[in-house]
Amino acid sequence: MPIVQFAPFSSLVQPSFWHELTKLKIDVLKLSDESLSIHGHYSAGKTIKDRETGNDIALGCNLSVGEDAFSKEFHAPPNAVPATGVFKNYNTIEEFKAADKTALFNKVADEIWAAVMTNKDPSILNRFLLIAYADLKKYKYYYWFAFPGFVAKPAWEITDGWRAADTVLSYEAMKAIHDDLAKSLKPYFLVRTNGKVPEVASVERYEDFFAGVPPSSQLVGFLDPSAIPENPGWPLRNLLAYLRSLSPATTASLRVLCWRDTEPPHAGSGWRSRFGVVEAGVPQEATDARPSAVGWEKNVQGKLGPRVADLAPMMDPTRLADQAV
Amino acid sequence: MHAIQQQFWSVREYLSPVLRESKFKEHGRITPEEFVAAGDFLTYKFPVWAWEKGDPSKARDYLPADKQYLVTRGVPCLRRATSLVYTDADEEAERMLSFGDEGKEDEWVETHAGRPALSESAANPGVIDDIPDDDAAGGVTGGIASMSLGGKGAEETPDLDEIPDMEEDDLEAGDEATAAPNTAQATGTGVIDSSQVEVAKGNLLQVRTYDVMITYDKYYQTPRIWLLGYDENRTPLTPSQIFQDVSADHAFKTVTIEPFPHSASLQAASVHPCKHANVMKKVIERMNSTVVADQLRQSSGPVTPGTKEKKKGWFGRKSAGGKETPQTPGEEDDVEGMRVDFYLVVFLKFIASIVPTIEVDSTTAM
Repeated sequence: MPIVQFAPFSSLVQPSFWHELTKLKIDVLKLSDESLSIHGHYSAGKTIKDRETGNDIALGCNLSVGEDAFSKEFHAPPNAVPATGVFKNYNTIEEFKAADKTALFNKVADEIWAAVMTNKDPSILNRFLLIAYADLKKYKYYYWFAFPGFVAKPAWEITDGWRAADTVLSYEAMKAIHDDLAKSLKPYFLVRTNGKVPEVASVERYEDFFAGVPPSSQLVGFLDPSAIPENPGWPLRNLLAYLRSLSPATTASLRVLCWRDTEPPHAGSGWRSRFGVVEAGVPQEATDARPSAVGWEKNVQGKLGPRVADLAPMMDPTRLADQAV
Repeated sequence: MHAIQQQFWSVREYLSPVLRESKFKEHGRITPEEFVAAGDFLTYKFPVWAWEKGDPSKARDYLPADKQYLVTRGVPCLRRATSLVYTDADEEAERMLSFGDEGKEDEWVETHAGRPALSESAANPGVIDDIPDDDAAGGVTGGIASMSLGGKGAEETPDLDEIPDMEEDDLEAGDEATAAPNTAQATGTGVIDSSQVEVAKGNLLQVRTYDVMITYDKYYQTPRIWLLGYDENRTPLTPSQIFQDVSADHAFKTVTIEPFPHSASLQAASVHPCKHANVMKKVIERMNSTVVADQLRQSSGPVTPGTKEKKKGWFGRKSAGGKETPQTPGEEDDVEGMRVDFYLVVFLKFIASIVPTIEVDSTTAM
């Protein structure tokens, strides 16, 4: 059976985030390079129909940070769920280069794992890491994201491939799930379909919500930022690790719902969500130790390396003056 | 010079009185209250749009604190407007935007409707070489050269020595469960990953995305549109790259880079609103007469709803489909013509003609 391949997150940094960082750096942080808590958000994967060729184009699997990333009272925009992150800003490019990235990454992965094992807290599963160096004089921002995802050994496999969710769920069932999530959107959720109307619950309730429910009526769902039909988005990876470690007895095979329908389908387009049955391999030995994690974002060249945002064309007063006609 | 001008504009906006009386049908301008009503309708009907507060210190007191401007993020833009090369043969492809009442004069022209990009330009997307420029000290030529459309200007090729040399391929070993960016194209599902489009189709698409904001301009008493773009690698676009997505008639003229009014430092591309009221007035006039006629017919007896009428009637009737009722207050007149709630829906259709390849007009799905 093919291995489940997860579409990695791509970072999307709104320019207003860099503006906010500039302000923060000058007025508050100054030379401090303490880690800060930041917020990002992601929403369901989108496709767009190319009117000229008729193809559907999948847009990126994005996690965005914007100007309210540093705000204490962060609210994700409508139809998006929040993700918390660790942000570390360096004062010089040398420090940025010399940063112990492995240690920083492992620290975040440890935090996720500890939260899973001690509080069964799923809200931290999409925690991310951002390191940056801001060259304020040149309006250049060097940055590198990491989205730690646990590596399952052996890897999860997919039975019968991913297919459209409405091939296994009726329109009414899809609509009921949609309406429930429209009231409170959750990054991860459970659905049981043995009643008249599907019921949705948060993922912490896995054991009691599915008690006595036949496996064919159980669904594990997540808000899927990927729009690629064959690749569920990155958040599923840690959700599977979470369920597998907390309920090893019942999670050898899971029915997964990749939820991509925050807007109900309008005329001409069907439901976009995907469904698949994933199976865990047999682990060599049972252990509570943290699995290894991967997830550094690749740069524009497709290599593991930092990205640079050059905002001089949009920020530098002299460049803007040239622009004015 | 530009700074002084901007200063002048902001003072002018500050001094100009807030429009109180609703006259959107007479001159196409709206009051802040109507802007909020139209915005409420837009966000209700199209949840991709949302209200934002912006920087509190920049809040306008004639708008509710939590409804300062509208925003939608990640609006896709599949092709460059500049790659839609305009030729005489395309003249026939022009489509008159008439909003119902066909056959009247001065409709405005939507030039790039559904026209395939020329294959030549697809392979070679509107690359215009930099204009050789002896007079680099500045002046008009200098300005134009630095903005050459699609050119490989200095600002597009990042200086290689400025990117820190810190690739760390040993940071993590390859992972079999991470989807490589090219796994999608082999599947037969007809959905193409945006990063793979050109490989898959031999047809160059560079999928950019835009954050689109709508503010209320107190001086012109119209909405004003703002654009922030990202390329396919989610790097912010430079002004000259943004101009590639503006139809040639408007780039550098009505579309300029200006400070975004609800942020202390952010700059964004904006369509200058000086002509908005006139265009909107014409569109609204035409739509209004259709809507009024429709409503008269509605009130004078049952009409067999043809598909055409159904589409037009949507703009005027409040509860055509039961749940279509907007959440905004309004009078209960039998014949009221087009309601101001639809102002922004119409406005977006107008903006779509200025930025033909940016899918700002999500309202076509209606």
